[in-house]
Amino acid sequence: MSIEACVTDDVLGTVSELLAPLVGDLDVLDIQITRDTAFHEDLGLESIDLVTFAGILAEHYGPDVDLAEFLSQKDLDEVIELRIGDITDFVAKRLAERG
Amino acid sequence: MVTQQPVAIVGMGVILPGAGSLAAYWDNLVSGVDAITEIPDRRRDSEFHGHAGVGGPDSTHGHRGGFVADTVDFDPIAFGIPPTDIGGMEPDQITALAAAVAAVDDAGGFDRLGDRAKVGVILGRGGYLSPGLVRFDQRVRGVRQITRTVRELVPSAGTETLSRLRSALLEPLGEFSAQSAIGLVPNLAASRVANRLDLLGPAYTVDAACASSLLAIDHAVNELTLRRCDVVLAGGVHHCHDDTLWSLFTQIGALSPSQQIRPLATSADGLLVGEGTAVIVLKRLDDARKADDRVYAVIRGCGTSSDGRGGSLLSPSTAGQALALRRAWAAAGIDPAAAGAIGLLEAHGTATKAGDTAELATIADVFGPPNGRRGVVGSVKSMIGHTLPTAGVAGLVKVALALHHRVLPPTLHCADPHPTLAATRFRTIGVAEDWDDDTPRRAAVNAFGFGGVNAHVVLDQGDTARRRPTRVSEPERVLRIAARSADELRRLLDQPAESAPVGDGPFRIGIVGPTEEKLAVARKVAAKVAREGTAWHGAKDIWCTADPLLHAPGARTAFLFPGLEGDTAPRYGDVARHFGLRNPAWSNASVLDRADSATGVGLLLDAALRRIGVTADALAGHSVGEWTAMQAAGMYSPAPTTELLLRYWPGGFALPDCEYLVLGCAVTTAEDMAAGLDIAISHDNAPHQSIVCGHADDMARLAENCRDRHVLVRRLAFRSGFHTPFVVPRLAPFERLVGELDLRPATIPVWSATTVGPYPTDPGEVRALYLAHLRQRVRFRELVETMYTAGFRVFVQAGAGQLGSFVGDTLGDACHLVVGAVSDVRTGLDQLRRVATALWVEGARPKFEALEPRRVRLDTSSTLMSVPDDARQLLEPAREDLPAGVSADVVAEFTALLDETRRSAAGVVAALSVQTVHQDLRVSLPDLPFLRDHRFFRQRDGWPDESDYRPVVPATTLVELACRRVEAAWPGVRAVAVRGAEFTRWLVADPASTVEVSMTRRGNDVEVTIGPFARLVVEVGRDFPPAGQVPTSSRPERTPPLSAAEIYSERQMFHGPAYQGLSALLGIGAGHIRGELVVPAAPGALLDNVGQLLGCWMMATFDDRLLAFPRSIDRITWYEREPGPGTKVDCVAEISTPLPELIVMTASLARDGRLIARIDGWQDIRFACDRREHRAYAFPDRHYLSTVDEDGMTSVVDNWVSPAAREFYAGVYLSGIERARWEKCPPRERRGWLLRRIAIKDAVRVRIADMGVTGVYPAEILVADDEVSVSGLHGRVLPRLAVRTAQAGEVAVAQACWNDERPQESRLRSQLATAVRRNR
Repeated sequence: MSIEACVTDDVLGTVSELLAPLVGDLDVLDIQITRDTAFHEDLGLESIDLVTFAGILAEHYGPDVDLAEFLSQKDLDEVIELRIGDITDFVAKRLAERG
Repeated sequence: MVTQQPVAIVGMGVILPGAGSLAAYWDNLVSGVDAITEIPDRRRDSEFHGHAGVGGPDSTHGHRGGFVADTVDFDPIAFGIPPTDIGGMEPDQITALAAAVAAVDDAGGFDRLGDRAKVGVILGRGGYLSPGLVRFDQRVRGVRQITRTVRELVPSAGTETLSRLRSALLEPLGEFSAQSAIGLVPNLAASRVANRLDLLGPAYTVDAACASSLLAIDHAVNELTLRRCDVVLAGGVHHCHDDTLWSLFTQIGALSPSQQIRPLATSADGLLVGEGTAVIVLKRLDDARKADDRVYAVIRGCGTSSDGRGGSLLSPSTAGQALALRRAWAAAGIDPAAAGAIGLLEAHGTATKAGDTAELATIADVFGPPNGRRGVVGSVKSMIGHTLPTAGVAGLVKVALALHHRVLPPTLHCADPHPTLAATRFRTIGVAEDWDDDTPRRAAVNAFGFGGVNAHVVLDQGDTARRRPTRVSEPERVLRIAARSADELRRLLDQPAESAPVGDGPFRIGIVGPTEEKLAVARKVAAKVAREGTAWHGAKDIWCTADPLLHAPGARTAFLFPGLEGDTAPRYGDVARHFGLRNPAWSNASVLDRADSATGVGLLLDAALRRIGVTADALAGHSVGEWTAMQAAGMYSPAPTTELLLRYWPGGFALPDCEYLVLGCAVTTAEDMAAGLDIAISHDNAPHQSIVCGHADDMARLAENCRDRHVLVRRLAFRSGFHTPFVVPRLAPFERLVGELDLRPATIPVWSATTVGPYPTDPGEVRALYLAHLRQRVRFRELVETMYTAGFRVFVQAGAGQLGSFVGDTLGDACHLVVGAVSDVRTGLDQLRRVATALWVEGARPKFEALEPRRVRLDTSSTLMSVPDDARQLLEPAREDLPAGVSADVVAEFTALLDETRRSAAGVVAALSVQTVHQDLRVSLPDLPFLRDHRFFRQRDGWPDESDYRPVVPATTLVELACRRVEAAWPGVRAVAVRGAEFTRWLVADPASTVEVSMTRRGNDVEVTIGPFARLVVEVGRDFPPAGQVPTSSRPERTPPLSAAEIYSERQMFHGPAYQGLSALLGIGAGHIRGELVVPAAPGALLDNVGQLLGCWMMATFDDRLLAFPRSIDRITWYEREPGPGTKVDCVAEISTPLPELIVMTASLARDGRLIARIDGWQDIRFACDRREHRAYAFPDRHYLSTVDEDGMTSVVDNWVSPAAREFYAGVYLSGIERARWEKCPPRERRGWLLRRIAIKDAVRVRIADMGVTGVYPAEILVADDEVSVSGLHGRVLPRLAVRTAQAGEVAVAQACWNDERPQESRLRSQLATAVRRNR
């Protein structure tokens, strides 16, 4: 496994954990969060939840992991169809930029 | 001669015996279901049916046939037929319409029919004595006939009796209207379809007896070939099991003596009568291909003929039949005798000797002798009987499905094929076979009518590429379960029943479309809800709660109407159609279109919600949605938008060119960022969303600011300047509009997001607010908070979009429900089913049945007339208990008097058996002084605010009160048992209140409801039941860790003297405890002490969840009168913990060695409370809920999960003044607010303890709203302290400093971070 893949893998685990307060009951629902999990369709989250999640991400990783900016470049349809993989890629990219 | 065009069958619908739908019909055909049954009881007349041998025409040996179901899946209202009109119509008009609609739906819906001017309807229908006509004839002629006969037979009957007879005969026939009479004209079977579906092509019926429907299809093919029609709905109807028809077949010897129809069998002995309707949608094949239709099969050729003189009226002519067959194959351009010409032949197959013999001869003649692989011949009459005019199309639908599915369906009861079959090129089959490639995919259908009218149709397979399975879409089932306990809920969930809600009680779960997978999740959900006391709302289509929101007193429901939302496409058309409501258009094209769409859909959903019994206590809206709310409340009805535009905006509708940006932040942050820019905050949507409005360049700078502050920003798809000052220059037309609005009082309160309160009633003020709403901020977040404080707990979003998520964001984990009434992803009715489920779980009573597909009753019987019960002895001789010679008038009067007396007596008896008594119960400390010894919380001695102690009525005292009230209400009875007791809410004694107690007696059961607090059934009797043995056992046990006296002194039990009865704890084991008690003085204290014994066991057994309160008791049985105060009683309690949060007890009470009472299924719910927390609860003056570090910094963690547990700790820490503030706190801030106060109060107590001030109760410390200063309450003096606090999620920290100390802000923050980390 490449280093990059390792990083993304780890990020996926962390992002899943950070999502727990928003989604809550992944274990009850028997949902395994993967890169393909859709924010709206699979997790039932609305765009306002992304604001909350942006706060959680920044708190955990630091302000340079700025989901708000990332999302501002997307139109509404793209935001609605956002998948966890999009977020982990973005986080991994920012982490890599720190060197 | 015009060549017949190939015609595609693109849709089919059937209502046939055993099959209400096309899919069911195919299932039956393939699996060989014999749909022939006994004649249903309702239609059977033992004087007519089932008589051995052939008698006169007024009886028949027949008693079996093919019958359609009593109801049809069809919604007459959706097609503008009032249900009241149906009774008077011929049933075949309903079935024709239902089958036509099903066929059109099957073809892809009405939109695919194209130009309705070129759609025709041609149905085969016989001129038999149909049920509607029979009933009309009974009215027109039957009543006269009977009265005339009676007059002839009983000359003394007299005019009045005959007049009564006439009325009695007419009464059961129901109302008659001219509308009903028109419904009896035979051609309406076709023309009503054209009328209701608005089709402008020819619509008529054809009668060619049993060949009718194939003749109709022949006409249809001609209409299409001649291009007079582009689409024809063709088929046949026959719903006429009339006695005349059965008699006719009996008389001519055609009705099977063996009562089994065996077409093409040697043993065939006649037919059985069937009934049914089938309609197919026909198009020219070219058109169907262009439109990309699914083509089941292609009609290649139709042929028709008559026998001429060749046959008699009863015996068919082979020559005539062969002519029709040859004409059809000629039209198709194929030689029927060629090898590979045909794979399946649907024979007419009446199963009469003459019929089958002639038909097989025809077949042998036309198709020639065996020639290679044999094709299959059969007849569906073996399964459904002879459906006469419908027979041809019933066979044709079978053949089309067979071609489509490539399966050869079987024919029943033909183990011994007719000998002539051997001479043909066909064979019969008894089970379905694959239609393999070696058998030609061409088929044909015969239908031959009485009198020698013949028809034949040749079909090819359809376009294989477009083959798709037919499928019925059944409405989703909803599984609902209510239970009295989590345990019961789980039990019921393990064995979900098929129908109706199960059980009763506050533990509720609703699952839409319960698959095995969802049920598995639901079990986990139920366990979680029981464990944590939180509700589950909607994930995986599951809703669940342990405490329905709407059961709380004052809990209310609001409908919220969205404003202009993003680009959504809500699905609601089916809702409009189902309820017969206007179907509004949906368009995102312009601001005006969006507004019209949102309002139109909002009003539709409002009406639909009411139809399903979901009602609102108030309405509110977001932006434009507020106008929808006003309209839904009847405050005004606007003219159509086009009219408004012409009138008020003659120069064109214009709005400011202002952009909107949606910001992912609170309104305060938005205001910060907009400072210095010409930008207005137009919407305060939620804690995490605000909308700002302004011109492009200012907005660009604001967007920059957002990026700097890491705030999510998104541009809305439309422009205007509403809800900001930018719109002011454009308001003049609105002012004129609102000035001329015809305002009416609201039928239901409407809340304004401009004023954050209900609309005014004065029309002038309403007009002013209407305008203010246009230019002022939408304060939706505040509106939601205020509505919550006013008791609104359930919010139904009546429209598309994300409005509901604003409510969720605003209310956080405060108990509430948000549910959307429409969705983009599922149909409107499916979404409403979810609304109904969610609201049912939370305690509402929606009418689920209103969502079910409407079925219409079909009465195809023609039963004899009958008079109502009260006329049955009309012609009986006078009663013998009257002296002879009394006049008829006197007899009548006497009889009437007797009847009247009998009726009144029955009424009195019925009324006596159910009695309800309502009483008031005054609950206050002066009225029930013993409650001073049943207070949850401790306070400083002499504390003036009694409510801070929380005196409550114990559950067992409610039981006792109920029993005594029942005995007082029905003197002479004795309460001998109580069952199904449920305790839903604490009944607090201070502040005082008056509670309604209602008692309903049914026999020996009295249902008692004590306000919303408790309900139970008291069983009354004159004597106590005999007592059983006192249970004995010798299980291992140990000495309880504390003595009875210590239980109270250590405050393991909070009870005061009036409730202290435990005198000795004798032994304790893994699942039991024994003790001795002396009955205390307070009412209900004896049973309360049994509960205390349970508490002792729990305190000795567990280290967590140490708070437990009774939730329900299955049964309490008394074997003798409750012993008086001072009596010594022995008690043994058997205890189990089926779930961590639940304790269940069975207990027996004995006195001097004899059993005096038994308690079964006493359930306590346990709340989060460990030893440390219990100490803080029991001795709040000495212990802290917080942990304290060496610097005196406190940190407190809320692991309490359930709001009920949280409320408990609020009671320990807050004074009445603070509780009032807590109540006003926005719901999502409550948890943090409480946590910070706990941390501060503990920090203060830690700090003053340094000075030697101890024994301070938390309620004595009042924390100011700024959370910086604190003061003493009710005489407590505190030194001057400054406090600091910080909180994140479920953790709060605090520190109290002397005024001269420097606060350690950074220490506080790092302490918080540590505490948060530790807790994770």
